[in-house]
Amino acid sequence: MATDGAMASGDELLVVEDLKKHFPVTRGIVFQKEVASIKAVDGVSFTVKSGETLGVVGESGCGKSTMARCIMRLLDPTGGKVVFEGRDITRLSRSEMRPIRRELMMIFQDPYASLNARKRVGFIIAEALEVHKMGTAAEIKRRVQELLEVVGLNPEHYNRFPHEFSGGQRQRIGVARALAVNPKLIVCDEPVSALDVSVQAQILNLLKDLQDQFGLTYIFIAHDLNVVRHISDRVLVMYLGKVAETASRDLLYSEPKHPYTGALLSAVPIPNPALGRARKPIVLQGDVPSPLNPPAACNFHPRCPRFQEGHCDVEHPPLYKFDGGQIAACHYPLEGWPLTEEEMRRPSAKAQSTPAEPTPTT
Amino acid sequence: MALLEVNDLKTYFRTDDGIVKAVDGVSFSVEKGKTLGIVGESGCGKSVTCLTMMGLNNRRNTITSGQALFKGEDLITMKPSKLRDIRGNDIAMIFQDPMTSLNPVHKIGRQLTEAIQLHRDVTKKQARARMVELLKAVGIPRAERRADDYPHQFSGGMRQRVMIAMALINDPDLLIADEPTTALDVTTQAQILELMNRLQREFGSAIILVTHDLGVVAETADDVVVMYAARVVERAPVESLFNRPHMPYTWGLLGSLPRLDADTERLTQIPGQPPSLLNPPRGCRFHPRCPYVMNVCKETEPELRPISNDPAHLQACHLDEQTKDREAAKLLSGTLAEAS
Repeated sequence: MATDGAMASGDELLVVEDLKKHFPVTRGIVFQKEVASIKAVDGVSFTVKSGETLGVVGESGCGKSTMARCIMRLLDPTGGKVVFEGRDITRLSRSEMRPIRRELMMIFQDPYASLNARKRVGFIIAEALEVHKMGTAAEIKRRVQELLEVVGLNPEHYNRFPHEFSGGQRQRIGVARALAVNPKLIVCDEPVSALDVSVQAQILNLLKDLQDQFGLTYIFIAHDLNVVRHISDRVLVMYLGKVAETASRDLLYSEPKHPYTGALLSAVPIPNPALGRARKPIVLQGDVPSPLNPPAACNFHPRCPRFQEGHCDVEHPPLYKFDGGQIAACHYPLEGWPLTEEEMRRPSAKAQSTPAEPTPTT
Repeated sequence: MALLEVNDLKTYFRTDDGIVKAVDGVSFSVEKGKTLGIVGESGCGKSVTCLTMMGLNNRRNTITSGQALFKGEDLITMKPSKLRDIRGNDIAMIFQDPMTSLNPVHKIGRQLTEAIQLHRDVTKKQARARMVELLKAVGIPRAERRADDYPHQFSGGMRQRVMIAMALINDPDLLIADEPTTALDVTTQAQILELMNRLQREFGSAIILVTHDLGVVAETADDVVVMYAARVVERAPVESLFNRPHMPYTWGLLGSLPRLDADTERLTQIPGQPPSLLNPPRGCRFHPRCPYVMNVCKETEPELRPISNDPAHLQACHLDEQTKDREAAKLLSGTLAEAS
C-alpha cells in the first residue's frame, strides 16, 4: 500500500496516499471565520495498476466524486499525496500540471451538461488536441473523425451540435473527447448512471473494448454494484469519505468483510424472481450521516447491524488485511457470505476477537 | 372483475412536428392487492400511460382514446370534477423525483393534511393526527416535529417517504408509483421497496410500479408489462416472464443487464436507438433493432397473443415458438446454472 512498494515494482500507475479534502464552513461576511469543515474525503489510500479497472462504489455523498476531482487536480486536496507515474502531482503548479493533464482524462456523469451546447462536436473533441498542440489543423480533423469512428459514431457527424444526438451518443462523444489525447488513465465519474439499460450496455461494452485496444486504465465510479462488478478488476467501497473495504472484484462480491459492503450487496435487486424473493435483504436503517459532523470512531456504527457498544463507537477501526486479500476497516468483520439477518446482527465469538492475526495496514 | 382495466388506451400529442403517438393501443389489468410492473426504456410511454389514467395530460394538445375502467367506471371520459374526487383518494400517485414533486415553500405537514381535507370531512386536528400517523408508518423519526419542516430539510430518501405517506393518506385502492426509487441509492431503494411491500400487505392496495429496473420488477411485481415504442410487447406473470421470456426485446433487456447472480464477459447490447414516435417503423416496431428479423416483421405488426401452454403469457412477435424457447433457454442458461 505504501509508495516505496510502488516504486519498487514500477507497476502502479497511480498511488493515492491518505488523500484528504475538507471544505471549510465559514461564518461572518467581512471577517470569515472557519467554524467547521466538511470532511468530504478523509484519508483515502489506494493504488491503481496499469491496465486495470478500479471500481469505486458508495452511496451519494460519500465523497466518490470529490476524490475523483482531487485526483484530477480539479480540486486541491487538503492533505495527502497523489502520485502519478512515480511523480507527486499534488502540489504542481498549473503550468507544471499541463503536460500531465494529457495523461489523465475524465468522463462525466451527465451527457447533457458535460458537452458545450453551443460548440460543434468536432470542436469539442478537438479542443484538447489543440491545447496540447498535437498536430496541424488537417491532422487534428483526421484524428477527430477517426475517434468518432472508434466510439461508434458516424465521422460525418463532425459538424453537428450536441443536441442532435441522443443520451447514449452524447456519452460516446464524451468518451471520444477523453480518448483524444491518448491518455493513460481515465477517471469515469458515473458514466452510465443517466442512461437506459440497453444504452448502458452499449457504453460498458465500448469502454471494455477501448481498454483492450488501447491498454487504458480506468477508475470507474458508480453507485450501481452490478455495473461495477461487470467492469472492475478491483473494487473500493467508500463510506463517508473513508475506505470501508477494498478487494479484488471476485472476493468483494463473494466474501465481503465489511458489514457495509454486505448490506450494499444484499440491497441490490436480482432480476430473477425465484432467487430475488428467496433471500432477505439486510435493510440499513436511516440515511448517511452528515460529513459535517461524522459519528465518532467507526463512522458506520450508527447504522451498522453488528454495532458493539463501547468498542465500535470508541475505537477507530484500522484497515485490517484478511487472508483472501480483502482489506476492510471493521472490528467485527463478516465471517462468511451470505449471512442471515440474525447472523449479521450477532458477530460470532471468532469475529469479536478481530480476525486471526490482524495486520493493520497504513 | 379487475380493479383497473385498461383497454386499447391511446394518447397522442399534437406537436409542431406532427402527431406523437406516445401511447398507442395499450391494454392491461390490475387485480386488487396485486402489483403490476411496467418496464421499458425512456420514451416508451410508461409514464404517459399513468398520466393519462390520472387525467394529468395537458388537454390542449392531447388526443386520448380507449378505456381505463376503474371499478367499472371509465377514467378517460369521466367529468373532471368526478375525476378530482377519485384522484388522491381512490387512486394516488408517487412521482419519480422527490426533489421536485413537493412544494418547497410549504411545510411537509401542511402538504399532507391538504390531501386529507380535500377528500374527507374532518377537523384540522383529526387531519393532523392522521398525517402524523402516516409519517410514522413510513418510518420518519420524530414525526410530530418533522411535520413542521420544509422539504429541503429532508434527504432524498426521506422525501420519497413523505411522497409515499401523501399517496397513502386516504387509503387508496390503487397506487401508481412512477419510478419511485430511480433517484435513490440501493440501500435507500431497499428501504422504500420494503416499505411499499409492507404497506401493501397492511392496506391491501394494488400497485402499478413503473420502472426501468428489471431487478426491482423481479422482486416486487406479480405481473409484468413490457413496453416498447408506445406498445405492449409482452405481458406475463413475473416468473413466467423471467423464466421464459418470449420477445427478442425482453431478451435484449435481460441480456444488457450486468448482474450479481451471473458472470458475463460481454453484455448483449440492443443495437441502435428506440424509434421516434412521430414516425414509428412499419410492421413490428422493434424490427430495425431485432437480430431475428424476418420479412414478415417488416410488413405486418404482430398481434399480442398468448403462448401455447400458458394463456396468461401474452407476447407480440412473429418468431416461431421453438426458436424462441431455444433462444430464451440459451440466454438464461448462464443465470440458471448459478441459481440451482
